[in-house]
Amino acid sequence: MKLAAAFVVALLLQLGLTASHLWWVLPACQPLLLVVVATARRMGPTGVAWSGLAAGLITDVIGERIIGPGGIAGAIAGAVVAAVVRRFEMEGPLFWIVGSLLAAACSETAWIAAVAALGVKPDHAWRGALATVAMTAAAGLVVAAVERSWRAWQSPARRRRRVLRRL
Amino acid sequence: MVRLRLRPDLALVLVCAGLYVGAAAQARMAGGTALSLAVTTISTPLVALGNLAGETWEDLWQGRRDLRATLAELERVRAEAGELRRSNQLLSAELAMLRQGSRLLAAYPALAEHATVARVVARDIVRAHTILLDRGRADGVRLDSPVLAESGLLGRVERVQEHAARVQLLSHPAAAAAARVVGVPPEGLLVGGDQPRLTGLPPYTQVAVDQPVVSTGSEGIYPAGLLFGTTLESKLEGIFTIVPVRLAAQPAEVMVVLVLPPAGRSAP
Repeated sequence: MKLAAAFVVALLLQLGLTASHLWWVLPACQPLLLVVVATARRMGPTGVAWSGLAAGLITDVIGERIIGPGGIAGAIAGAVVAAVVRRFEMEGPLFWIVGSLLAAACSETAWIAAVAALGVKPDHAWRGALATVAMTAAAGLVVAAVERSWRAWQSPARRRRRVLRRL
Repeated sequence: MVRLRLRPDLALVLVCAGLYVGAAAQARMAGGTALSLAVTTISTPLVALGNLAGETWEDLWQGRRDLRATLAELERVRAEAGELRRSNQLLSAELAMLRQGSRLLAAYPALAEHATVARVVARDIVRAHTILLDRGRADGVRLDSPVLAESGLLGRVERVQEHAARVQLLSHPAAAAAARVVGVPPEGLLVGGDQPRLTGLPPYTQVAVDQPVVSTGSEGIYPAGLLFGTTLESKLEGIFTIVPVRLAAQPAEVMVVLVLPPAGRSAP
């Protein structure tokens, strides 16, 4: 349920980031890929690949591109992220940073490959792909920082300290 | 009934293959679809929201910059106003000094020709009973030169430097000058102190209050006939009549003085 809510929020954010009054590099950010990374904590590689497929298809739809290559790229990215995260047992900030970086890089590479295989001229080339990877990884960094802060705030040790201070 | 069971990973691969085929078909078709219209409809309010957020941020940023510029301008204007206020005060002081100087010269036209006009640059009228002038030896000021203010005699030059001179006021405890009360024949000695007084008058000399006390020039410093002050109520002390004198010149208010040439007793 939480993942579904996050998916919707990420979708709305991805649409909203294209607003002209925002910083021009923000539309390169792909919050939906972060949701795919988040699913890697709960699901196996196949499940994550399915979520990547959904995210990629939705990205294709909202980007008004040919529907399909984004889904394929998302599925590949999801499978790779899930495999790497499991293989190296990533946790904490590293999970988010490596996961988002890997998801964006795999997704963009696979998308460019798929589009090239179809013989279609892509709407962005390597520079756009690089911006996407950078911005998505930056978003992953932000999520990692927020999560770490949240955990520190909610930690039992901090609660204990607070209680002791009141005594 | 045959139940088709498909492994999820194989299903994923099949779906991807299907998508690829579908994408290839789309690549060969052109034109907008209802889906793109729906996407546009959904994304419009979100884009508007994003634009609103961006505009708000830009406004805040611009406002902050404007505020900084305004504060800097305010600081600069304040500094300028302070500078102008100081200049105005200096100019006002200069003007007052000039007015006093011109009144002084007008009051003593006969003496002004050989005298030196000097400005009071420092004063210690409570402890040392001296004032410091901005004219010195280079300007013709000599030791024991009488110093005259607009309302009367102020004292004599007790120390001269090249471009400065120190004046011993008549209120100095060591100050002394030959003087007489107008309308009273005998000459007396005006001595300084907290209450300057005229001493040496014969006993029972009748001295009215508020009579002018003027210099006689007998001591060889002050020219005769210049005003020291006015008399207060006289009294008899021993064999002399003592007359307290209210000095005419107020050193605290004097800004410009006339330094007269010495009467001839002192060497330059």
